[in-house]
Amino acid sequence: MMNRRDFTLAKLKGLGNTIIDDVEKNTVPSLKVPSRGTSNIVYDEAKRYYVLGDRYGQRSLGNVKQIKKVAQMVSMANFCKVLVETQKTATMRETYYVSEGWDVDFGSQDESNLVGEDLEVTLGVTREDLGLMPEEDGASVYGNITMKDDDVEINASKTGKSGYSISPTIDDVEFVDHDVQRVIAVETMGMFHRMVQEKAYKKFDTLIVGLKGQAARATRRFLKRVNEELHLPVYICNDGDPWGFHIAMVIISGSAKLAHVNHDLATPDAKFMGVTASDIINYDLPTDPLKDIDVLRLKELAKDPRYRNEFWQNEIKKMLKIGKKAEQQSFSKYGLEYVVDTYFPEKLDSM
Amino acid sequence: METNASLQKEISVEREASEIFEEFKELTPSEFFRRNKQMLGFSGKIRSLTIVFHELITNSIDAAEEAGILPEMVIDLKRVDKDHYILRHQDNGPGIPEPFITKVFCTMFAGSKFRNIQSRGQQGLGCSGCVLLSQMTTGQPVKIRSGYKEGNKIKGVEMTVKMDVKTNQGLILDRKEIELDSTGVSMELHFKDVSYSLSEQGAFEYIRRTMIANPHAKIVFKDPTGNRYIFDRATDEIPPMPKEVLPHPKGVTADDLIFMAKHTDKRRFRSMLTSSLSRMSNKRVDELEEITGIDFNKRPKDMKWEEAEKIVELFQSMDFMAPPTAGLIPIGQDQVEKGMKEILEPEYVKTITRNPKTYKGGVSFVIEAGLAYGGKSGRVVGEQKKAEIMRFANRVPLTFDQGSCGITEALKSIDWKRYGIRDLENAPITVFVNIVSTHVPYMSTGKQSVAPEAEIMQEVRQATMKIARSLQKYLNAKRAAKEEAMRAQIFETLVPVVLKEAAILAERDVPEYTDVMAKVTRKPKILGGVTDDE
Repeated sequence: MMNRRDFTLAKLKGLGNTIIDDVEKNTVPSLKVPSRGTSNIVYDEAKRYYVLGDRYGQRSLGNVKQIKKVAQMVSMANFCKVLVETQKTATMRETYYVSEGWDVDFGSQDESNLVGEDLEVTLGVTREDLGLMPEEDGASVYGNITMKDDDVEINASKTGKSGYSISPTIDDVEFVDHDVQRVIAVETMGMFHRMVQEKAYKKFDTLIVGLKGQAARATRRFLKRVNEELHLPVYICNDGDPWGFHIAMVIISGSAKLAHVNHDLATPDAKFMGVTASDIINYDLPTDPLKDIDVLRLKELAKDPRYRNEFWQNEIKKMLKIGKKAEQQSFSKYGLEYVVDTYFPEKLDSM
Repeated sequence: METNASLQKEISVEREASEIFEEFKELTPSEFFRRNKQMLGFSGKIRSLTIVFHELITNSIDAAEEAGILPEMVIDLKRVDKDHYILRHQDNGPGIPEPFITKVFCTMFAGSKFRNIQSRGQQGLGCSGCVLLSQMTTGQPVKIRSGYKEGNKIKGVEMTVKMDVKTNQGLILDRKEIELDSTGVSMELHFKDVSYSLSEQGAFEYIRRTMIANPHAKIVFKDPTGNRYIFDRATDEIPPMPKEVLPHPKGVTADDLIFMAKHTDKRRFRSMLTSSLSRMSNKRVDELEEITGIDFNKRPKDMKWEEAEKIVELFQSMDFMAPPTAGLIPIGQDQVEKGMKEILEPEYVKTITRNPKTYKGGVSFVIEAGLAYGGKSGRVVGEQKKAEIMRFANRVPLTFDQGSCGITEALKSIDWKRYGIRDLENAPITVFVNIVSTHVPYMSTGKQSVAPEAEIMQEVRQATMKIARSLQKYLNAKRAAKEEAMRAQIFETLVPVVLKEAAILAERDVPEYTDVMAKVTRKPKILGGVTDDE
């Protein structure tokens, strides 16, 4: 099988060929760009994540508005081709600045970001494949896993208490060795450090991943790879509120906005451990009342196809009924060790 | 208590009525206007001079038209000192016969225009008003030359006259016969407390607007800085003279009826009605007689006020044909267009003359409108072009009181955005509106704004909206042409860019693309397929 790099290069070249072939046949070149409009984003029940539908838009050289997009796309494609060939990366911001030297430029970074997405969906590759990187690093990982990034070998239990920072270029990282049974991802770095201090990695033979809120693309990519390549079960533990629920759900079933790359980002087998509404009741956790915006969000989630199963419907109903939410760190009511000593073992047993 | 005492005191100095009435006087019109010159429009330095121009120009045009002559004027304004000007005004009209000269220039309320007729001037105050102002501000007499036909010869006379305000009569200071080879009147007047301005209310703008509404006239104007402007005529057609029309029943008052009854030569009230009102048939008189029970066969002089009131009241509820419109002579849409083209040199102009309508049920009027876009249209304010509204009544520019005018109100109520004009205020547009009527409903004695009569407002709107639609079509076409050019430009720059980049991407050479370029630049719309832009 072709590696991702060669695959991406072939796709980029193919884009050029389509246009040149058309011109040689004296037809006006026109590109098919899968539509990213909401009407073309559908939830795939079998795959358990959002995918793009089969509708697409035209980018024709014969249309005064579309030709500019085509020019921007091929210009960016050439820029990406050089990145991939030289194994470099550029951030979206850098790309935007570089584009100022092109024959056709962008009005704003939003515009260049959109053309980047056009390129992703048209070629069926991710932006990371194209060498375009998000600004931010991914999550922190702690635990006994050895990875090879270029020529450097890294063990995530030997990179200090803050762990290994997932690089935006995570796809170039090779997994060399590990001796863990599972992965536990937590929403806050506070909980991450609690788990490191309580040696949770030993107790549960686990990797600890500190998500830092909504998971970055690189983090999601990491979780998917450890799940699929190393066959490790992934558990997610977040705050017990609609926002915590959804951070978990985006890892599990992907987001609508990135429907075109969910096949590379979603980890449908990842499990949500808590904090659930049931946990709030069973563990008698300190709570805050739900705010209006929390209630609104919960009602939205209840209608979302990703939350259609019984478990989620029950938990959402229960939370609305009790009208309360709880943070994952509220377990410290019972002592700092409680969450690792009692909560995690009980939850892992039940799953 | 004290007040009572002081009251007593005052009573003790009470004067007898006869004593008071020793001071009772009769004011002559001249004396009245000397004390109330603002009633002639002479208020403010700029306005006063504009009104002088207005009076003299309208008199000249009216006179020439009546004589069947294409009007032509030479106006020379000299500045002697700050606020002190000498105005020379010369026309090519039929002239004024010698016996009438002092009447025209020195007697208020003397004139030929007290009829039910469409005319520029109306009150016989024009020339004499200007002489009054001159005399009041400078004490100088007026110098007049008149050339007029007597038999086959042209008689020429030069006079220096003054106005005797106490008697409303002219005083001849000097008089001599002169040789002239053409007819016409010229005069020389001194003014102080006036000011020449290039603003919208100034004399220059007044001339410019006059020329638009009177494309058959020619004015040569020398301004105080010595610049000579020639406003040439855009047409050689002299407008036909309006005919006098009888008043319409819906437009008369009880007082009018009594006045007619006093002055008629008819012997019966019935025949007086049918002969002095328009659209008044015997059948209608029979109807009136039946309802009111008044004897319509009695002598007109026996008509009582109460009866007249009853009749006028009935007029309002009766159906009459609309008044005859022979009395209305619009400029005509072609002539307005010529005038606007000559003065504004616009990129686009559209004009319209509407059919006659009536307001208040019995006063007929015609609305004419014009829109000019681009060129010298609009007025320049600083670096920017602003829209200008030119209002006219019977071809006479209305330069003051724009804000309170029904025409302005009607124009502002139009939703200009619907006609592709996003912001009327800041568009290079001149809007022309002329109302033609025997009785223009002015708001005040200054006669500078038209009352917002519903029917008039409606007509102004309709007329303007109709031509605005044409302007919109023009603007759309212009926009489309511009876009077309931009389109071609975009393709010519971007097609090579796309192909160069695609060739690098494919690692191939740039193919020959003349055919594709030709196809692309000719294609007006999207090339097949579904478009789905986010």
